[in-house]
Amino acid sequence: MRRGTAERRSSRGLRALAVAGILGGALALSACSSSGGKKSEGGGDGAGPRLKIAMITHSGPGDTFWDIVQKGAQAAAAKDNAEFLYSADPDGGKQAQLVQAAIDKKVDGIVVTFAKPDALKDVVARATAAKIPVVSINSGADVSARFGAVAHFGQDESIAGEAAGRELARIGAKNALCVVHEQGNVGLEDRCAGAKKTFGGKLENLFVQGTNMPQVKSSITAKLQADKGVDGILTLGAPFAATAVDAAKEAGSQAKVGTFDMNKDLIASIKSGTIRFAVDQQPYLQGYGAVDELWLLKTNGNVIGGGRPVLTGPAIVTKDNAASLEAFADRGTR
Amino acid sequence: MGRAAAEALPPPPSPPPPPAPDERMARRSPVRLLLGRPELGALLGAVALFAFFSLVADAFLQAGSFSTVLYAGSTFGIMAVGVSLLMIGGEFDLSAGVMVTTAALIAALVSYQFTLNVWAGVLVSLVLTLALGMVNGLLYVKTGLPSFIITLATFFMLAGANLGVTKAVTGNVATDSVRDMDGFGTARAVFASDVDVLGVNVNVTVFWWLGFVAIATWILLRTRIGNWIFAVGGSADSARAVGVPVARTKIGLFMGVAFCGWFSGMHLVFAFATVQSGEGVGNEFFYIICAVIGGCLLTGGYGSAIGAAIGAFIFGMTNKGIVYAEWNPDWFKFFLGAMLLIATVVNLVVRRRVERSK
Amino acid sequence: MSEAPLIRLSGVGKNHGSIIALREVSLEVDAGEVLCVLGDNGAGKSTLIKIIAGLHRHDAGGYEVAGEPVSFGSPRDALARGIATVYQDLAVVPLMPVWRNFFLGSEKRKGLGRMDIDHMRRTTRAELGEMGIDLRDVDQPIGTLSGGERQCVAIARAVHFGARALILDEPTAALGVKQAGTVLRYIVQARERSLAVVFITHNPHHAYPVGDRFLILKRGRSIGYHPKGEITRDELTALMAGGAELEQLAHELQSTQDSDAGAAAATALTKEAERLRPAD
Repeated sequence: MRRGTAERRSSRGLRALAVAGILGGALALSACSSSGGKKSEGGGDGAGPRLKIAMITHSGPGDTFWDIVQKGAQAAAAKDNAEFLYSADPDGGKQAQLVQAAIDKKVDGIVVTFAKPDALKDVVARATAAKIPVVSINSGADVSARFGAVAHFGQDESIAGEAAGRELARIGAKNALCVVHEQGNVGLEDRCAGAKKTFGGKLENLFVQGTNMPQVKSSITAKLQADKGVDGILTLGAPFAATAVDAAKEAGSQAKVGTFDMNKDLIASIKSGTIRFAVDQQPYLQGYGAVDELWLLKTNGNVIGGGRPVLTGPAIVTKDNAASLEAFADRGTR
Repeated sequence: MGRAAAEALPPPPSPPPPPAPDERMARRSPVRLLLGRPELGALLGAVALFAFFSLVADAFLQAGSFSTVLYAGSTFGIMAVGVSLLMIGGEFDLSAGVMVTTAALIAALVSYQFTLNVWAGVLVSLVLTLALGMVNGLLYVKTGLPSFIITLATFFMLAGANLGVTKAVTGNVATDSVRDMDGFGTARAVFASDVDVLGVNVNVTVFWWLGFVAIATWILLRTRIGNWIFAVGGSADSARAVGVPVARTKIGLFMGVAFCGWFSGMHLVFAFATVQSGEGVGNEFFYIICAVIGGCLLTGGYGSAIGAAIGAFIFGMTNKGIVYAEWNPDWFKFFLGAMLLIATVVNLVVRRRVERSK
Repeated sequence: MSEAPLIRLSGVGKNHGSIIALREVSLEVDAGEVLCVLGDNGAGKSTLIKIIAGLHRHDAGGYEVAGEPVSFGSPRDALARGIATVYQDLAVVPLMPVWRNFFLGSEKRKGLGRMDIDHMRRTTRAELGEMGIDLRDVDQPIGTLSGGERQCVAIARAVHFGARALILDEPTAALGVKQAGTVLRYIVQARERSLAVVFITHNPHHAYPVGDRFLILKRGRSIGYHPKGEITRDELTALMAGGAELEQLAHELQSTQDSDAGAAAATALTKEAERLRPAD
């Protein structure tokens, strides 16, 4: 019963989606496509099984990183003829509710992030009990297998941090800052801790309010004014790297800037040398790999990674390889 | 009961009589007048905090550091100008934080997508942002719902639209860089340049901030509009009864917030060239906090733009002072909260003293 | 000026849906006259005042200002005809200085949008001084004044801005004896300045000393309309309270007073009334 009405709704939703595409996707229409997609049950009338794969992350709105993850997942879904449903909520409890909603919709596979593992433990157990395979991405490598996920695609933040620490040392920094743009985020803390391990010099954490760019800038400026000896800055997200460069200029500091994550403006800055390196965890690969793994599992029973986390990073981007990645970053997939 | 009984029953007795005649004649001294200003407590709080950070943070007293603190204060303070006027007028605007991002996105998207001189984007953004403020105001006036609810709704809508439109237009969650476009240089000079003051680089936003505060103070204290702002916040019904255009005044105040949001948005665009669509959420509360530290009543009808400026200065000083003092960053928010508490308590104590001495 | 009285209502009626709020009420008040409208709660006083003030349109009968039939759509229309209304509870904005309140909505300007603050301060002080209110400081918030003083500022404001008729809605209701006396004194002063005053009250002790004519309302109808010479205070009290309601009135008064202060207040009121009487 429920399935039938949902299917009708879905075909309408898909038509709306197509119209939205044709019209070039204004605000209302793009909002409509995401809700239509989430609600839809997939038009499985065609030949062959069309899988429905739901991804539920802890991302807040407007985050470049998760945008790239989605693009990877959508690319894999398109190739695999799967239907891809995305939803997200930074609040652990609400994220769990979204997972439950996916279970209720009887999707064929679920991709989750274990940013708040305890909040998701039970609902993931319900998914596996309902014979819906779960793949985790991004955060939660340590709990993924234990909670019943078949595979994990992500970057080990400590390992990535260690790579960043080596890069910082390579560019000649001795006394560096690790700019934390979201306080209490374990992943970000791990990055700084990892970097500290391999850096060799002094690495100090600086907390900034990530949602307010002028404040990010003035806080970094203030820190550089307070400690003139700082000669390196490591930011943990791409937009903050450019701001750190501005702040260094403002404070008259010679500090060299490196960062985690990527976006297209960053590539240009790396090419020009104002930003020395980026530690990319290849979010595209996380989305693509997770969806592809679920498809492989359903169609061929394959498991990638042999029960161990599959590392999607760190991939280091420097002046040497920036040019070759530019085109990819321009279309928003790197 | 006869007439005699009614005669013996007078109306209610008098409450305590007004102050004694000699006090009535006494003129208030200049000191007392100063004490009566809403911003005094904030001023003392600011002085106390400044002295405190000067003692604990070596780098705090450098001219360059002071300029950084002023810049931090200005980015809150410019918004706090509009927000404090609105609060004096008895209303809140919870959409103020994301409206800054909206204004910035509009300017960046319009300039880039249509390959226009960035000033065209700046103007389109001004018009649209003012329109948004007007929508807030009209919704409030027409529905009669609390502005808290109306602007909470527009807050969510704008936050969603910021992301939705940006992604629909650019395919990404941030705008394309407008750094190499026509007019960027002049626009940056206006909205985000550094001005050399006696060898110290001071961000131009600091001067705009002071200018806006001066204009707002003049409007509040010297013009008819200012009289109306106090009146609609203090008692909208009384104001209406004597012919004050309450609806127009309130709509104007919402548009004032929008104007400040537009300016702050332009600073975002021309300081950072790209705009992240998810920015701005949560800042609305900082603006309100600045206004409250500065002596604006949450219930409206009382406050000052200068007070809000001092509140923003306190906020900027605390924010950066903790960095200068090089305290453990894990405790950053704790220190921030503690400093704000100190500033507001000083404010409160001073005001109580003043009220008692009146 | 025409010979017609400033305000004349003839056979005015008003329905709120199926409820008849006011029926067949007639009154006249001319410049230099005080008309007191008396009645208990629910007698139709506030409906009457809202019709005169322009907040409600009357359904039946005629409303003339200086002989011209009118039908007001808003208080602004009434104000334009010189009819100013001072409401008991929304007379002023408590947090604002006295002079800002005095000029609120009619600010004096001197170009470039600037207010002529000196003029406004001076005028406020002078106007209030003329009415016998001596302020410590016109910059003090009006909320720090007593209730009576606040009503007086509101009345002085209406007078200053050229009101020909003053409608006072229960200006003495929430006031103590002394403050009520102050307000009554300004009513008398307003009359001496040739204003027409409509004074709404439920207290015959307040009405009698200042009124020239008395209109007594009950359940939306006029039950008496007398010039002062034709009625004594006791008759007025009896007429207004009437029979069973007298006990209710007595009870109402009793419940709002301290037993101790009762006698003292009674004396004070009588003295106040004595003092006011020579004025008319």
